[in-house]
Amino acid sequence: MSARPSADAALVAGDQPRFDPDGRAPALIVEEVTKVLGKRAILDGVDLALPAGTTAWISGGNGAGKTTLMRLMAGLIVADRGTVSFDGLRVDTDRRAYQTKVGFLAAGDSGLYARLTVRQNLDFWAGLAFVPRSRRRATVARAVERFGLTDLASRRADRLSLGQRQRVRLALTFLHAPRLVLLDEPSASLDDDGVALLLSAVDEHAATGGTTVWCAPARQTEVRHNRAFVVRDGRLEPV
Amino acid sequence: MTRVRAYTGAGAAVLRRDFQTALSYRLQLIGTVFGSFVSLTIFYYVSRLVRVEPFESPDEYFAFVLVGLVIFAMLQALLGGAPVIVRQELVAGTFARVVLSPLGPVAGICAMLLFPFAIALVTGTVTLLFGVAAFGVDLDLPRALLGFPVAFLAALSFAPFGLLSACLVLIVKQSALGVGLLLAAISLVSGLYFPVDLLPGWIGWAADVQPFTPAVDLMRHLLVNAEMQSSPSVALLKLAAFGAAMLPLSLWLLAQTIGFTRRRGTIIEY
Repeated sequence: MSARPSADAALVAGDQPRFDPDGRAPALIVEEVTKVLGKRAILDGVDLALPAGTTAWISGGNGAGKTTLMRLMAGLIVADRGTVSFDGLRVDTDRRAYQTKVGFLAAGDSGLYARLTVRQNLDFWAGLAFVPRSRRRATVARAVERFGLTDLASRRADRLSLGQRQRVRLALTFLHAPRLVLLDEPSASLDDDGVALLLSAVDEHAATGGTTVWCAPARQTEVRHNRAFVVRDGRLEPV
Repeated sequence: MTRVRAYTGAGAAVLRRDFQTALSYRLQLIGTVFGSFVSLTIFYYVSRLVRVEPFESPDEYFAFVLVGLVIFAMLQALLGGAPVIVRQELVAGTFARVVLSPLGPVAGICAMLLFPFAIALVTGTVTLLFGVAAFGVDLDLPRALLGFPVAFLAALSFAPFGLLSACLVLIVKQSALGVGLLLAAISLVSGLYFPVDLLPGWIGWAADVQPFTPAVDLMRHLLVNAEMQSSPSVALLKLAAFGAAMLPLSLWLLAQTIGFTRRRGTIIEY
């Protein structure tokens, strides 16, 4: 077994530690990622390394590139330069295995099938996420309970309020027990109970060794994060 | 869980979702079947006016066009359906979920063709039986059953055109006009409503370079015992060859298109 490289030896461009100061190997590694959209460089050589069990906060002004970074880490879009990997799996070359480990909540309120009920939406995603048929019913039931959706389970998605929709979207994000959860403005439209359920899910995820990236323009004090960054001028800077 | 089982389960989930969505509209399925009955009735009365050389009787033309309508339903499902479904997914923001699933966008889009094809098959069968019951079309049932495997083979050779239309939607975000024109052109050159022999020489070649003409020809032969342009084995071979050549090519192009739009960052734009 090879010795773990020291934190100093693992420094990469941008002075971001490749290995956590605590000495834990990072689960999520973003290396030298650059993304140009149109003629504008949205991200320019971004580095990030997060060990398992980390909850990271990413802030930044409107249009700074937070959502672009989240989409790159989720695998929705591809970097012009640089790599993204999680647990040794690269987002571009190990797509299927990578996606089984990632849960992504996009900003906004889209992504639900309007004519399907909450339970049908969850069941559909369980199928797409390769949750075995034998476990699907229990998995959906747990997600319904976890996000306080019991009374809404049989209601169609287009008959939900924005906050209720957000709870369903969060339930979809955590449904397949991902190891990396990427949350883009997750508390939008949520009431106090909804925020409490979200925070509890994130804490539980971290306690089991899961990695979370929470992204929003302004920092929310109630989020128990142990790393914080800001996207500024196309770079990711520790706060 | 094996990979095949995982993909089959995910494909079944897409099929179930589309079925649940269709059921939620309640009258959609009834409307589709009723619409095909109306078209059939119109063509029945139009056929009463037909006295042309290629057909010995109005009934012969009606049987001819009945099969054309059944095939057109399949064409609409596979060619017209794919771009419409992908665009709906883009607008609803649900396509991102498909892209980020282990199933992936290529297999996801393929799975989205299953329900429209199944509906086209059911509608086609009901339309055919309506033609028999209401207008006395002569159907040789044991032979007509062979139409099902031929329909599956035809679907495999039609589906690439749907996948290519989906590519167009992913890149230019619109394809309604292009697909509409393509469907109209196919109806013209594949003998859906009239024999391809009637086409002028300068366009006649178009009847031979696509899989729709042999599919229509073969289905007509099996369902209403019409004479074929070529032998059944040649028509089968043409269908299989189109499917074998076009399906991998269209899947590759779809994968390339998805890669291109992910690099451009436009994959979920609409």
